Amino acid sequence: MKKLLFTLLLSCFLISCEEEGELTKTSSGNSINSSAVLRYSGTFNPTSGINVNGDAKIYLEGTNYKLKLENFTITDGPDLKVYLSKAETPNDFINVGNLIPTSNLTYAIPNQVNFEEYKYVLIHCQQYNHLFAIAMLNMN
Amino acid sequence: MKNSFKILVTVLLFVNSISFAQGCSDAGFCSLTNHDNSEKTTKNSIEAGFVFAAAEEDVTVFSQYITYSREFNSKFSMSFKATSSTANGSFGTRGNFGDAFITGNYKLKSKVEDKKWSIISGIKIPFTSANNKINEFPIPLVYQSSLGTFDLILGTNYNFKKWDFNAAVQIPVININKNSFVKEFSGTNLFETTNLFERKSDGLLRATYSHKTKKFIFKPNVLLLYHFGEDTFQDTFGNRQSINGSSGITINGNLIANYKLNSNSSLETSLATPFVVREERPDGLTRKFTAGLSYKYNF
Repeated sequence: MKKLLFTLLLSCFLISCEEEGELTKTSSGNSINSSAVLRYSGTFNPTSGINVNGDAKIYLEGTNYKLKLENFTITDGPDLKVYLSKAETPNDFINVGNLIPTSNLTYAIPNQVNFEEYKYVLIHCQQYNHLFAIAMLNMN
Repeated sequence: MKNSFKILVTVLLFVNSISFAQGCSDAGFCSLTNHDNSEKTTKNSIEAGFVFAAAEEDVTVFSQYITYSREFNSKFSMSFKATSSTANGSFGTRGNFGDAFITGNYKLKSKVEDKKWSIISGIKIPFTSANNKINEFPIPLVYQSSLGTFDLILGTNYNFKKWDFNAAVQIPVININKNSFVKEFSGTNLFETTNLFERKSDGLLRATYSHKTKKFIFKPNVLLLYHFGEDTFQDTFGNRQSINGSSGITINGNLIANYKLNSNSSLETSLATPFVVREERPDGLTRKFTAGLSYKYNF
């Protein structure tokens, strides 16, 4: 009895499991309508020790802006977020979503954003407060 | 035959726990040990147990713990406890190690035999920063095995005849919580944003009545928890926001049944349910009910 209980508990301790559910399946999420107009774009540059490729593109779809990362690849990071930022550093920013490589990398942008102020798209590791990549937005 | 009887008693106690369970809320240190009234002749003990709980919404949590305790002399003892848990719900299943609790218990002098005072102090050390993910998706705190805080625990215990009273505080001292769950990005409105969560202290009051028979000890108890202040998170604009309704009182009822297997070992079952809960419980510690089973061996 004693051995059985300890074996059961030990096995429970040793299991560090992860299994996807309904809300964590990779989904198409946001998408860009073909009628959307490209308004701003910029190419990503890496910070030290990081590899990044691709562009940040801001589309106007009806009255809503959306951000799409195109042809995008980046060095793996544990907790990467996509920020719209007023500067090249993540001090004054809007978190628009999680960078999940298997998703379609399209993000809704709050209506009140003024792109004259928020000129940068940053890829930032929130958990370790480390900036991975910067794209400066230019008007198209 | 004897072993079969023990297993039968255990199963009956456990089933009984589930059938009466209605809910519980927990502040992480609810399991502070009661004054041990057993006639022990050994100095060491190991306790291992697991708890099944129905948490918020559709989440169920299965948690495990193991505790080693040692009495250094007639007054001073220490315990080391490690926890782990696995949560399951719409976000999927996620399990990991939780926290380590190191506590010391010092018995104060008492002139009257049936009155005993002791003081308890300890620390809680998190094994994670509360940012476990599923498929790279951030998940709410109810799925996390730890809240990601180093806590100071201070408490006292007063034992009078069949009554046992606990008072304690749990104070987060260092916050390493890196949870990055944001409601707007999650696909559901059922859980509050807990991005870079910061939690406030908790206070605990508990009254326990012990009823002994030859083989059993029944310990019904009432547990009152007070959360001192509103927890906060960082919103998508980088601003810190308070979570309205996250402070306040929780009252739980808890029934423990202890069965003495032999002079050195015992089995214990417990069930708990909340009667009063806080308006908002972003820490994910609230339970609709809990049912637990543990085995303790003295040596």
